[in-house]
Amino acid sequence: MTHAFVSQVSTPFIPRSTTTTESNKTGSWRFLQPRYDEKTAPCSAACPAGEDIARVEMLVAQGLFKEAWETILQENPFPGVCGRVCFHPCESVCNRGAFDEPIAIHTLERFVADTAMRYGLQPQRMALPPKSERCAVVGAGPSGLAAAYFLARLGYGCDVFEARSEPGGLLRWGIPPYRLPVPVLQWELEHLQALGVNIRCNHKITGGFLHGLKDRYAAVFLGCGHYKSPALGIAGEDLSGVEEGLPFLERVRSGDLPSLSGTVAVIGGGNTAVDVSRCALRLGAKVLMVYRRRRQDMPAFGHEIQMAVDEGVELMELWAPLSIEAHPDGFRLSLQKMEVVSEEGGRARVKPVPGETTAIVVQKIFKALGNTAEEPWLEPPGEIAPHILHLADTVVSRREDGLVVVYGGDLAARSKSVAHAIGSGKEAAMALDLYFRRGWDAIVEETARCRVGPGPSLSMEIYTGGDRCRRNPHVVAFEEINTDYFLYGPRIIQPRLLVEERLQGFSEIDLKVSAALAIREAERCFNCGVCNQCDNCRLYCPDVAVCRDTSPQGRHINLDYCKGCGVCVVECPRNAMSLVENETGGRP
Amino acid sequence: MELSVQDREYMCSGHVGCPGCGAAIAMRFVLKALGEKTMMIVPACCWSIIAGPYPQSTLKVPVLHTAFETGGAVASGVRAALDIKGDRETTVVTWAGDGGTFDIGFQALSGAVERNEDFIYVCYDNEAYMNTGVQRSSSTPYGAWTTTTPGQEWKKLRKKNIVEALVAHRIPYAATASIAFPEDLVRKVKKAKAVKGSRFLHIYASCPTGWRMPSELAVKIARMAVQTNIFPLYEVENGVRYTINYMPKGYLVREYFKLQGRFKHLSEADLEQIQQMVNEDWELLLRKAGVSPGAAGPVTKID
Amino acid sequence: MKKVVEGSHAVSEAVRLCRVQVISAYPITPQTHIVELLSEFCSDGSLNAKFLRVESEHSAMAALIGAASAGVRTFTATSSQGLALMHELLHWASGARLPIVMAEVNRALAPGWNIWTDQTDSLAQRDTGWIQLYCEDAQEALDTTIQAFRLAETVFLPVMVVLDAFFLSHTYEPVDIPDQADVDRFLPPFKPAFSLDTAHPAAFNQLSPPNVYMEMRRDLQDAMEAAPEVLEHIEGQFQSLFGRRYGALEAVQCDDAEIILVTSGTITSTCRLLVEKLRAQGEKVGLLKMRLFRPFPYEMLKRRVLRARKLAVVDRNFSFGACGIFAQEIRAALCNEPKRPLVFGYVAGLGGRDVTTDILEEIYWTTKTTAHPESESVWVGLQQPAPAA
Repeated sequence: MTHAFVSQVSTPFIPRSTTTTESNKTGSWRFLQPRYDEKTAPCSAACPAGEDIARVEMLVAQGLFKEAWETILQENPFPGVCGRVCFHPCESVCNRGAFDEPIAIHTLERFVADTAMRYGLQPQRMALPPKSERCAVVGAGPSGLAAAYFLARLGYGCDVFEARSEPGGLLRWGIPPYRLPVPVLQWELEHLQALGVNIRCNHKITGGFLHGLKDRYAAVFLGCGHYKSPALGIAGEDLSGVEEGLPFLERVRSGDLPSLSGTVAVIGGGNTAVDVSRCALRLGAKVLMVYRRRRQDMPAFGHEIQMAVDEGVELMELWAPLSIEAHPDGFRLSLQKMEVVSEEGGRARVKPVPGETTAIVVQKIFKALGNTAEEPWLEPPGEIAPHILHLADTVVSRREDGLVVVYGGDLAARSKSVAHAIGSGKEAAMALDLYFRRGWDAIVEETARCRVGPGPSLSMEIYTGGDRCRRNPHVVAFEEINTDYFLYGPRIIQPRLLVEERLQGFSEIDLKVSAALAIREAERCFNCGVCNQCDNCRLYCPDVAVCRDTSPQGRHINLDYCKGCGVCVVECPRNAMSLVENETGGRP
Repeated sequence: MELSVQDREYMCSGHVGCPGCGAAIAMRFVLKALGEKTMMIVPACCWSIIAGPYPQSTLKVPVLHTAFETGGAVASGVRAALDIKGDRETTVVTWAGDGGTFDIGFQALSGAVERNEDFIYVCYDNEAYMNTGVQRSSSTPYGAWTTTTPGQEWKKLRKKNIVEALVAHRIPYAATASIAFPEDLVRKVKKAKAVKGSRFLHIYASCPTGWRMPSELAVKIARMAVQTNIFPLYEVENGVRYTINYMPKGYLVREYFKLQGRFKHLSEADLEQIQQMVNEDWELLLRKAGVSPGAAGPVTKID
Repeated sequence: MKKVVEGSHAVSEAVRLCRVQVISAYPITPQTHIVELLSEFCSDGSLNAKFLRVESEHSAMAALIGAASAGVRTFTATSSQGLALMHELLHWASGARLPIVMAEVNRALAPGWNIWTDQTDSLAQRDTGWIQLYCEDAQEALDTTIQAFRLAETVFLPVMVVLDAFFLSHTYEPVDIPDQADVDRFLPPFKPAFSLDTAHPAAFNQLSPPNVYMEMRRDLQDAMEAAPEVLEHIEGQFQSLFGRRYGALEAVQCDDAEIILVTSGTITSTCRLLVEKLRAQGEKVGLLKMRLFRPFPYEMLKRRVLRARKLAVVDRNFSFGACGIFAQEIRAALCNEPKRPLVFGYVAGLGGRDVTTDILEEIYWTTKTTAHPESESVWVGLQQPAPAA
């Protein structure tokens, strides 16, 4: 039987959907707009070499060790060295410190470099076209080598002139092997040379060197460091057996290990003084470090001082040397008691306490005061003139004959550290490239554009137009981190030799960490301001307006639908997004 | 840490939920967990509007809009029809607001659960009649302003404990969940899907519009509700087996309250009283879960 | 097969024969016998249906809305307070164009509590978009129920099969119960126009703004307007299979009648006796039985009554502040006719009071001897003074 009347009654017209809501362009509701806005992590802004630390830790957490290593190499040719000897100012500003404990950035840097070394990785480098200008670099220390490295990457041929038999400068001759084993330096130097940097050792430069350079070089970088020790200005300092600290360290580094006995006095409070003390300790002496201010005023790195004390170095604070006399058992060192008068920037000003002196008898004395340039012509010009630019870590001078002389490293940097020296070399390379390509007037403005956060550290990745260009210079504060996405977790403990083991020789004190531990540590990192593809923005979007794509960001906001609620921005754990005024669409 | 939640999307853009709508986020998560073999019964609530006007639908699963108080009953009927047609695969879900659950729809819900109808009832709770313009419901918390509890007449009665009411039915599965804890939420939906009989999910879904707060805080505030013990995450199997899923860090309720305009009239004394209530409820829950208060981490103390 | 069954069970038998798939019900006197027997059918397996024992009439209808939306044949039964409670969902069922069939046993509304027959409950639902068919006896109740499914599923409107409490619901009569095979021929399996389907997901009953709502309502009205003709066609098929038909209206000796008594429900049977008696006395009297109330059969009504001088409409219902509801509707149907009978309205038998032949005869003579109706409704059989006064 058929339904004769079915045809008479039409299909009911009911509220039943036939389409989606996608024709409603709810983006027109928006008056604020979320934006992927990667920002600057405080660690990277504090790094004198401008390393992209937040990204490095992200890559380590993902197990992408090679990529992490290459990311460091963008900004620093010496991760293996810096992972050992850097004073890591990054860690003291780490936002994680306000949560539980800072990330062990230093340990992770070394881990990344060691992993690369262990597997003999070759970095993938962008090859910039070769340039016609050739540069000379004087001094194969960290700043000179860094300058050569960055110049080579920018396409410049470089000749490095080194007075000593091997390159490395302070890294090779000044830092004891228990902090920096020679093979680490050598491995990183091989990469440098692979870039085409030509290092000519045993080639001491004299004052006349600069003349006639113009024919062969368009520029010269002077990074000779401070090797000359100033005089103490006291009687007896020239007595035989009273030695300079740096040459002593150089002897140790060259394998000449004199046996010491009795008590050794080391005068000074800088890193050289600490290194001399700890070497002397290892060579069999009892060591007294004599310093005219307090321990906290010492220029040496705090953790180095602490290790020296742990190893048995005795500190004599607030004692200034008065005189040195020969003594049957060695030397009689007279000392003047000092007292703190006032503090300036946390550092004490001291004056003698009248009448309070003492004398100690020691078997040997090392002078390890601050150092100065070996030759006056190596010092950068102090004057302000149109042909002289005083940049953050370099001084650039344009001579009348057209040759550009850049003073870098310890000669010109804000601070005397390996990381500052590297930053200085980078700044020099950038300034020279700018000068050659864009002219003298572009240098100041364009280097400023390449600052990491507020600077003064510079980024070569930014300079060469890498992804880091997109970073907002705003430095992410702890309050801007959504800590709900992070669990409390203890910081990795750097494994070390026991004190007894350390004193047996010059073996490296800091031991390797496992990949598992490194990843766990890197996972603690907030990755401040850097997107780690966590996808929270897409996950939480109430309007399904975050879409994956193949861009470096991996996703984009579909402004046709985004209502501008801002949930993605707040739920971004690491402040890699911002809510800004409407750029397109929506109400004004 | 990356949250592992299914990639597939069953909700379209262009829906007409307010900016930052917690209920929209909740729907996305629930559908991701349930998949396409799902039928949604939507009694009157914000989602009656959000889902789109004729001829649109924002969801990629069948949706049956129904009268306010019918969530439990309509789902029973749909389930019965599918059963008689031999469709055991499709999950029937009622998707109701707090008004349609705690108040007008409570009878139908109670009836359906007593009959142990084989369906999932999801209450997305935004703590008032939001769709009609923020009127108080029995889910509105103590202390809240609504348009029907204005000025000094702010609600001075406790929020109905709906999960405990359902637990009293010996429902096979009841759980709380929050849009701020997607993995927990998705896990519970999947768990509920696998259970036979009546299942109840109480999802905390913030409402920036009704709570008088910036839309960007929608998820954060939902998280804070959990962190402060105002909305504990727990599940109850067969009306007896309690599991607490999140042991809070002991945040003060004050932090949660001060972000929302609906609580701005509350004095310190009021907040202290609310803190006591929250502590009391939490300790009661701990007892039911057989957890000694000491073992459960800090119970928030007022300084 | 002839069986002596009560009116309620005649409905139950019909529901079984119609292979209903989901039944949802809540107890209320005097409807309960219908669903009690259906429960037994489900329990003994003679009916393969899901029986939902819901917690209210409201939920009973809501559950059927769900089930019908999912594409199955559905049935419920209710009465009085229960129907009133369902009111909201009656609109929902018709607006969603769901062919739900409901047996409604007329019972007076409280207060005071009264379980006896009175049509006000169902007539109060006249604007809900449901087709309403009023039954006279158990056989008609059974047949109408079967026809109701066919009608509902053709025009996509819900149908209410209305029975008087006790006089019909609880009265045993011999009923011819059709063969299943014949019913299957008459009523094929339900083919929904749309249903919830995960393979073709759609939203149903969503927000319908002013730009479409009116057209949707007009579509519902179009279906209503088609219903009388569809019913006639269906009844033709029904008759060829089962030998019975009822029509939207039944006119008894109306062709030459000067006065036509208009009734519905069981009063009709009583009235049939009266008409026989009066005709024997030479009175030119006729009887019009109203079976289809919604949609209101305007044209059919006019064809039957325009030649008469007077109509005496017996209403076992009342619209307060107005009049008996059948009388009201009939007056409205005729008002634009240049030559039309006078419509006398009578209210009788409210709350289950017996409407005897004596009462109907009083109505007849009053109509005959009154030149012109003196009021909209004359209440027949009121005690003077009222019992408690």
